Amino acid sequence: MKSFLKFFSSVKLAIVLFLIIAIASILGTLIPQQRSLEEYEVRYGQLANLLVRLQLTKLYHSLWYLMLLFLFTLNIIICTLTRLSPKLQRVFMPRLEKEKKNILALKIKDSFKNNADLATTRDEISQLLISRHYRLQRKENEKKYFLLARKKILGWFGSDVIHLGLLVILAGGITSGIGGFRENLSFYEGQTLPVPQAKFQVRLDKFETELYPNESVKDWKSTLSVIKDGQSLFSKTIEVNHPLSYQGFSFYQSGYGLNWENPMLEIWVKKKSDASYLKKVQLMVGEKISFGDKELTQISVARFVPDFVIGEEGVVETRSLEPKNPAALVEAWKNKEKIFSGWIFYYYKDFARLHSGKESDLSFELKNFIFSEFSVIEVARDPGVNLIWLGSTILMIGLFLAFYWPAREFKVILEESQGKTEVIAGGMTLKNKEAFQSEFEKIIEHIKRKK
Amino acid sequence: MKESTLFLIAFINYILSAFYYLFFIFSKKLKLAKTGFGAAFVGLVVHTSALLLRTFKSGHAPFTNMYESLSFLSWASVLAYIIIDRRFKIPKVGAYLMLIVIALMALASSPLMPKEVAPLVPALQSYWLWLHVSVTLAGEAFFAIAFITSILYLIAESRERKGQASKSESNAEKWDSVSYRCVSIGFPIFTLGGLIFGMVWAHKAWGSYWSWDPKEVWSLITWFVFALYLHTRVVMSWRGRRSAIIAIIGFLAALFTYFGVNYLLKGFHSYV
Repeated sequence: MKSFLKFFSSVKLAIVLFLIIAIASILGTLIPQQRSLEEYEVRYGQLANLLVRLQLTKLYHSLWYLMLLFLFTLNIIICTLTRLSPKLQRVFMPRLEKEKKNILALKIKDSFKNNADLATTRDEISQLLISRHYRLQRKENEKKYFLLARKKILGWFGSDVIHLGLLVILAGGITSGIGGFRENLSFYEGQTLPVPQAKFQVRLDKFETELYPNESVKDWKSTLSVIKDGQSLFSKTIEVNHPLSYQGFSFYQSGYGLNWENPMLEIWVKKKSDASYLKKVQLMVGEKISFGDKELTQISVARFVPDFVIGEEGVVETRSLEPKNPAALVEAWKNKEKIFSGWIFYYYKDFARLHSGKESDLSFELKNFIFSEFSVIEVARDPGVNLIWLGSTILMIGLFLAFYWPAREFKVILEESQGKTEVIAGGMTLKNKEAFQSEFEKIIEHIKRKK
Repeated sequence: MKESTLFLIAFINYILSAFYYLFFIFSKKLKLAKTGFGAAFVGLVVHTSALLLRTFKSGHAPFTNMYESLSFLSWASVLAYIIIDRRFKIPKVGAYLMLIVIALMALASSPLMPKEVAPLVPALQSYWLWLHVSVTLAGEAFFAIAFITSILYLIAESRERKGQASKSESNAEKWDSVSYRCVSIGFPIFTLGGLIFGMVWAHKAWGSYWSWDPKEVWSLITWFVFALYLHTRVVMSWRGRRSAIIAIIGFLAALFTYFGVNYLLKGFHSYV
């Protein structure tokens, strides 16, 4: 147990852990995280399996990385605690220094004879220190006077407060990891979806994409209503950077999507032999529409893709979900005979890729497609987040104390002999020794001058 | 006046300042350093108005693309230098810092950096853009000065070791102490701006305060390096050479967080 404590209370361990965690973290930024095995095989070949087995592909959630963080946490706790109790004693139950040699062993010190009696010297020093906001503790016995003057004593605890802040942040991280969840939900306007793990639903009342004049996205706005027991409690319009929070759940606008499941297509039918012939039909994929024409009795759309491309094996696919090259596979019948089957393109009217069928008098144009947009909303519950903010606040207070609130301490022994007073003074501080040195010298000079 | 004109005037002032400072280093005439400081100060004032003008024109913070953020980092570095120089009188640092600033400004004005005002993508439309980026870059500006003083320390120390300069001439101790002061100013600012404000904003915009995005990880690494600097120094009383090397590594990590991550690694932070 003792050696265990000794091991974890060492700052050397902290330094080794700083290095290991930093290097491990770098590794995680070099290897793309959380991808599929196939992607790793393409990238790293035979090494892929090894990387996966060493959990380098989900490094920040791997057992060994969490183990490192655990050791780090233990190190912070034990390091801080073992140093805390002597420090508490020192700060809250200070001892008046009665040995001259201990004061003279300090780095900042001075000793001289003052041409005044003990009482005068004592009052001078006390007043000087009080005017500089020091708090004094003193003791007098016979011809000796002991003084301890301190200010900004909380500065002693800067590093402990920083460590406490870090521990609270780590606790927040653990709480988020265990109790948190996040999930993307896709809403159509008017759709109500149950919120996972919650006792209420959310309805998307309105969704709009705002564009800049140059067509790039300015913002997405979703008006959400919280529904409980079939009743709408309230609505709020959320946008990126402005989420909705309700009962520990938060709703973030994370993006949008286009629904290509069932677009309404408008197709124009023309005849080469008759320039005035024009028929417009509106239909959905799979729908067969009867046509009152001798040459053309029925028409249907077998498939629709928003971004037409012919894939590796000669199969038609969509390259993206954006309408960059919308195309429809149109089929047409004359009674039982299929007279047309081919892809027609929204942007390339004349480029009909005929799959089969004879040379036909008929031509088809894809004139319009109407699709719906959906809003992608991230639902998250993160019970650790308040601990994170609390820890961050403590951390900043600690940093302030450690760097901008330097504890300072004066120790003085006065001894009277033959009407003169021997002054032995020393001081110490944690930070900014130069500034303290000059304050110390100023005070000593001041006393020396007053003869 | 146009923003690009103001930018150019500031740039010229920084170049002049660097020249004066360099002449000062060779001639040791303190008057030259004072003129260099003056030029840097005038440059800073003009640069400030360039940044203000851009802010008014675009309606958003002047650090939403590489050009803007390079310009802002230069500005913050000159400001940090002026503050530190008032206190510690380190004209030698001025020469090197102005050279770095000139490099940053030159990079910003290169034709590779698009300069037109672009509308903000949804995720950047937040006042946290101001808080997160400006405070982080302010912290990094102090790390930049610590980087220079650490290099100056290493040079001074090696001259001292080779017997080319006496202890009082080489000034090594001063460089060591100024480095430490800069780190102790920069570290809390960087923690607040880079890590804490970053978490708050990530929480608001992405719904998650920490996503192990490469830029997040690299700022954590930077933070770890400076934590190492402080622990070895305060607890283990490391000084001088070893401290200087850690401070140099720390600044390089900060620099990689700023540039390298964008160009070499992919992640959420693909704005700047």
